[in-house]
Amino acid sequence: MFVLPPPPRYPVGGYPGAPPGQLIETNNSISHPTGPEYQLVVGEGTYVLRDDLHLATPPPHPSEAPVHNPNPLATTVSPPTQGTKLSLVALAPRQPSSTLLQRLDTKNSTWSQVPPIAEHESNSHTSDTDSQGVNGFVSAPLDGLRTPVFGADNAALNVVNSKASKDPSKRNKPKNNIVKSNSSFVSRVIPHEALTKRLQEHNVNGLYAFANINRALQWLDLTSPTKEEHLTKILFTKAHALCHDINQVTRGPNHLDIVMGFSTGDIIWYEPMSQKYSRLNKNGIINPTAVSDIRWIPNSENLFMASHMDGSLVVYDKEKEDAAFVPEDQTPDEGMSDMERKTRLTVKKSVQSKNQKANPVSYWQISSSKINAFEFSPDRRHFAVVSEDGSFRIIDFLKEKLLHHYMSYYGGMMCVCWSPDGRYIVTGGQDDLVSIWSLEDRILVARCQGHNSWVTGVQFDPWRCDERSYRIGSVGEDTRLLLWDFSVGMLHRPRAASLRPRNSMASTNLNMQRTRTESSAGRMRSNSNLTSGSALDDDEVVHPVEPRARTAILPPVLTKAVDEHPLTWLAFEEDCIITSCKNGHIRTWDRPKEGSSTDDSGRTRSQTSSNAGIS
Amino acid sequence: MSSFFGRLKSGAAPASPATGHPVAKKDPNAPEPTPLEKLLANAGPLRGDGSDKFFGFENFGSTCYCNSVVQCLYYSVPFREQVINFPARSAPETLERPQSLPRINTNLQNGPQSALSPTGRNSLSSPTVRTPGKPATTPGAPGQPPKPEDNKDSPEYKKKQALAAGPVLTMDYENSKSYGMSESLFTSLKDIFEAVIANRSRMGVVSPHKFLEILRRDNEMFRTPMHQDAHEFLNLLLNEVVENVETFSKSRITEVGGTEQNGVVAPATNNNTNTGWVHELFEGTLTSETRCLTCENTSQRDEAFLDLSVDLEQHSSVTSCLRKFSEEEMLCERNKFHCDNCGGLQEAEKRMKIKRLPKILALHLKRFKYTEDLQRLQKLFHRVVYPYYLRLFNTTDDAEDPDRLYELYAVVVHIGGGPYHGHYVSIIKTQDRGWLLFDDEMVEPVDKAYVRNFFGGENALACAYVLFYQETTEEAMMKEQEADAREAAAKQASELNPEAVAVGATTPKTNGAMNGVGHAHHLSTAQTPTIEEEDQFASLNHAATAPALNPNEHAHPVEHVSTNIPVLGAKKSNAGLGLFGKKNKAEEKERKAAEKELEAQAKQKRKEMEQQRRNNYKRQEEELQAALAASKETAAEENKKRGTEDTSAAPGTPRDANGVGSLSKASGLSRFRHSSMSLKGKPKFWGSKDKGDGNGDEAAGNGEDPKGHGLGRKKSVFKF
Repeated sequence: MFVLPPPPRYPVGGYPGAPPGQLIETNNSISHPTGPEYQLVVGEGTYVLRDDLHLATPPPHPSEAPVHNPNPLATTVSPPTQGTKLSLVALAPRQPSSTLLQRLDTKNSTWSQVPPIAEHESNSHTSDTDSQGVNGFVSAPLDGLRTPVFGADNAALNVVNSKASKDPSKRNKPKNNIVKSNSSFVSRVIPHEALTKRLQEHNVNGLYAFANINRALQWLDLTSPTKEEHLTKILFTKAHALCHDINQVTRGPNHLDIVMGFSTGDIIWYEPMSQKYSRLNKNGIINPTAVSDIRWIPNSENLFMASHMDGSLVVYDKEKEDAAFVPEDQTPDEGMSDMERKTRLTVKKSVQSKNQKANPVSYWQISSSKINAFEFSPDRRHFAVVSEDGSFRIIDFLKEKLLHHYMSYYGGMMCVCWSPDGRYIVTGGQDDLVSIWSLEDRILVARCQGHNSWVTGVQFDPWRCDERSYRIGSVGEDTRLLLWDFSVGMLHRPRAASLRPRNSMASTNLNMQRTRTESSAGRMRSNSNLTSGSALDDDEVVHPVEPRARTAILPPVLTKAVDEHPLTWLAFEEDCIITSCKNGHIRTWDRPKEGSSTDDSGRTRSQTSSNAGIS
Repeated sequence: MSSFFGRLKSGAAPASPATGHPVAKKDPNAPEPTPLEKLLANAGPLRGDGSDKFFGFENFGSTCYCNSVVQCLYYSVPFREQVINFPARSAPETLERPQSLPRINTNLQNGPQSALSPTGRNSLSSPTVRTPGKPATTPGAPGQPPKPEDNKDSPEYKKKQALAAGPVLTMDYENSKSYGMSESLFTSLKDIFEAVIANRSRMGVVSPHKFLEILRRDNEMFRTPMHQDAHEFLNLLLNEVVENVETFSKSRITEVGGTEQNGVVAPATNNNTNTGWVHELFEGTLTSETRCLTCENTSQRDEAFLDLSVDLEQHSSVTSCLRKFSEEEMLCERNKFHCDNCGGLQEAEKRMKIKRLPKILALHLKRFKYTEDLQRLQKLFHRVVYPYYLRLFNTTDDAEDPDRLYELYAVVVHIGGGPYHGHYVSIIKTQDRGWLLFDDEMVEPVDKAYVRNFFGGENALACAYVLFYQETTEEAMMKEQEADAREAAAKQASELNPEAVAVGATTPKTNGAMNGVGHAHHLSTAQTPTIEEEDQFASLNHAATAPALNPNEHAHPVEHVSTNIPVLGAKKSNAGLGLFGKKNKAEEKERKAAEKELEAQAKQKRKEMEQQRRNNYKRQEEELQAALAASKETAAEENKKRGTEDTSAAPGTPRDANGVGSLSKASGLSRFRHSSMSLKGKPKFWGSKDKGDGNGDEAAGNGEDPKGHGLGRKKSVFKF
């Protein structure tokens, strides 16, 4: 069982021309560092580092040995790559963490009783919204049936779908065996020797993880006593998997649907239990640019959405063949005002298109620059997209409509996450800020200042959120993990005054001053401040940048460097926080033991370790 | 003169105003147009403001610190404009029709030139002028053969090629007199800018002899051929410019005092006489708030800064460095604060905030840190990320426009393991040609994403050292992003090479036609910067001698140029396309055709331009006459007042500057400059840096000790 995987086929000393001295490591390693520097002390208790799993970085494929270029000014463009990110899944049907939030008494909260999104929708259209009661939005995550399905009204799509899923208990598998594949895309697949046994031993409540590192993708069992040994490792020839996602609808003891997006633009649908795969957008036939993020469409067995680096979002059907993509209905770009162009979502192929024989199912051009991340809302109707140009958009994908367009304070936005109840969205970006946005109020609620570098990952901690307060975690290039507690109550205070008492006077004066100077001065100056007062306009889609003087600043409740390398990802699990970094370290931080909790609010109920099943 | 010029040009047959430039354009040596040539292949007519000029700078042995910084300044649009316009000469015309600008310059050049012996003084329009002179000095004629066996992708090779292709603007003359100023770093900088703008070629190489000569003459620390600190140089240069400009206008005021001419003309011309322009562009104000812990009294002091030096931390961002810069600092122990309120030294809290935001924010990342143990400077390779856009968090509450948006437009990169050696290059966003890499003589288009290769980090020899951010607006930002997008889209449409497109969204701007060319990414396998070939120049200050000394590469091309002028002259705006067309590569045929068309068009254009120029010239001459008359008057007055300075070229008088330059009696420039400029002498600017650093001061430091040369970024390091 502890037999190591077969040695690499190439000499361990390295490939020809490899930079000397570079150790090629082929096995993952695990360590258990202890000490105060491996603890996170927060109000509710102390998080302790459980272990540090270091994924082995595979050496370059022999045929792809990079030309080592000693010129630091070389203008060669290296293909995009990505630090380690994980996709997690537990096989057992888990109670979604968000149920903790789904209380019926939300009516009593301080918030408007009409859920924000439902509200928009009722304004504009009727068909989909009917199913939404007052709490429809809130309960939606629990009840997939009530949520409209993407593309449901399109007969052309439904035909295919129904065929595909005749027997819901029997999942379709991809066509090709990845182990026996002779595709030049896949270099090698290394299943664990005792894979079957390990799969049997797997705790159903335990976590499987898929993690990318360089050109490898590893399937890990995070609850196994030998978690450092991968269940399967796939090495691709040269493409790097930049993103991946597991379909939560189809997961089961014998089936997992994973999609991965690659630096080459290719997408692979992989089923690890049967070691089958199929490849989509082959050689970039539909979109030739790298895939920066990929997610299964909520409630869909077959459809997933991929964001490409040219700013397009493409929905694919895992079962369909590729066909060269020709934009279908493109409204001419000319003649539109800037405003129109900005407020419009360019639909190059609508989900309503009758031509659904092949991929793509739909194709939207969101922005002109690279999309860094997107995420679906808990109500499964919207998604939020953040891009390198600093824009942050909320899109109703059922209606294929851009609802809101916000901008970062400056610089690109790198990550985005919805609150479990769908009311708030947090983003992180190159302005070193975590920004909290309220859908309901359509405003920037607060900027969280505390990172020393770009924010690369942001998540809500559903186990520490309730209808009044939210726990947010963020990681960044500064190697730090920051935790933020954000409470609804504070929104009702005048922001500038309550949060920055020292500045409040000055800032009001300031605003007046500024307006004055701006109107008079002929100098070139950002006029960002001029329009910011209109943020509450109902029809407004494009929202101006909020000046600093008027925005609440939220300080972190915890700041801690948790790695030596820039972090790329984090997740909250019921019993732990997991972080990962550019160099492949996956660190698991155990939540405070219940007894030691100093939190008397009862929010730590999640600490029941019943189903943790963790070694 | 102009007629001579014109004739020459027309004589050059196909040639156009571009006369000289077309010349060599690699045709002999380069089998293929360089990426830059491709980028510029279908450029329109030359612009008068210099925004479409892409000249490398010759390296005379470790002068890359200078080259990289001067390039950044050249592409700092308002700075360039001010430099060109400063002594307010010909202002009205300039403003109205920038097209005429080059014209003016030509005159200018010709002016001094005629006065000078042909040998040394090839002026801006060197190609033409040089023709007669240079060939003699460059007999080698290896123009064609010298195909170095080097790897063609190596920077060395490319640099040689650039020199060979020319035109090489040998800046060994100075026009300070025509500017009505005394010779200074400013005037020679202006000479360079003028020359580049006036030249008919879009590409070429500047040999900044005079500039370096003056720099070295006046600043001991730059005299050694050693590696110098680019930031120190930047600071020194800005300070010098400030000083030169101020001295000039002071003298002007005192001299001209009541003269009508000055009174009237000067203000009329777009505050060119406003000597504060360097301040306006680069200067911001820092407020240090010091709160005495004993009496709680807060005192404020404002200090000006021309750039900000920030300390670095591993894995941080520029944003965070700036925030750290403004973090509270305890003044205690030996560093106590003298409180006026309670009298005596007290413990205090001090923080520096930005009260007035500069238009151009020059950020110096303090990568060279003095380590006590080693007793020397060490380079910090910390990974410090910088965004394309920036706002400042550390502003005071009463700062005007505290949310001002800045965009990154230039990066000076230091390559090398330590402060005492290495190489500097700059990566600059040009007005409409996207990002370019300026590596001494070589200029190459790069991808926008390339800018992010210099964050630093474990294995990164090349790290950003000075970042230039300029004020911008959100609208401008959006527009640019959209433009980027369109290009990317166009590109994607035309070529479906997946990899190239992968970066599509962030590709440099190429002109529709030649997609992808923009980033023909050449693997340069060369090692870091080496510049041995030029070492011979280290001690040379005079261009005149340069050719002689310069053995092969440099000279030959020139020769080649001259011989070819008549023949090849045509291609000016097509930048060498024609030449490469000759190669008869099959794939190039189409291009050839297109090119011919272009050429025809270009010819037409050129003719028109020429006509225009002639007209301009006529007008100029008339004006000149008038101006001369006027200036003579003033000169007379001035002479009465003070014989020393040549102020005859009143800043306000338009064209005359040139004419005057050559004609005026200008007493040999009064040299009121400090012979060596100690930055200490300018507490005004230096003070500002201080929280950050103190380091500025050092800049001045030790010329004599090449090693120590004031890189010290520690407060304690003053090597005076």
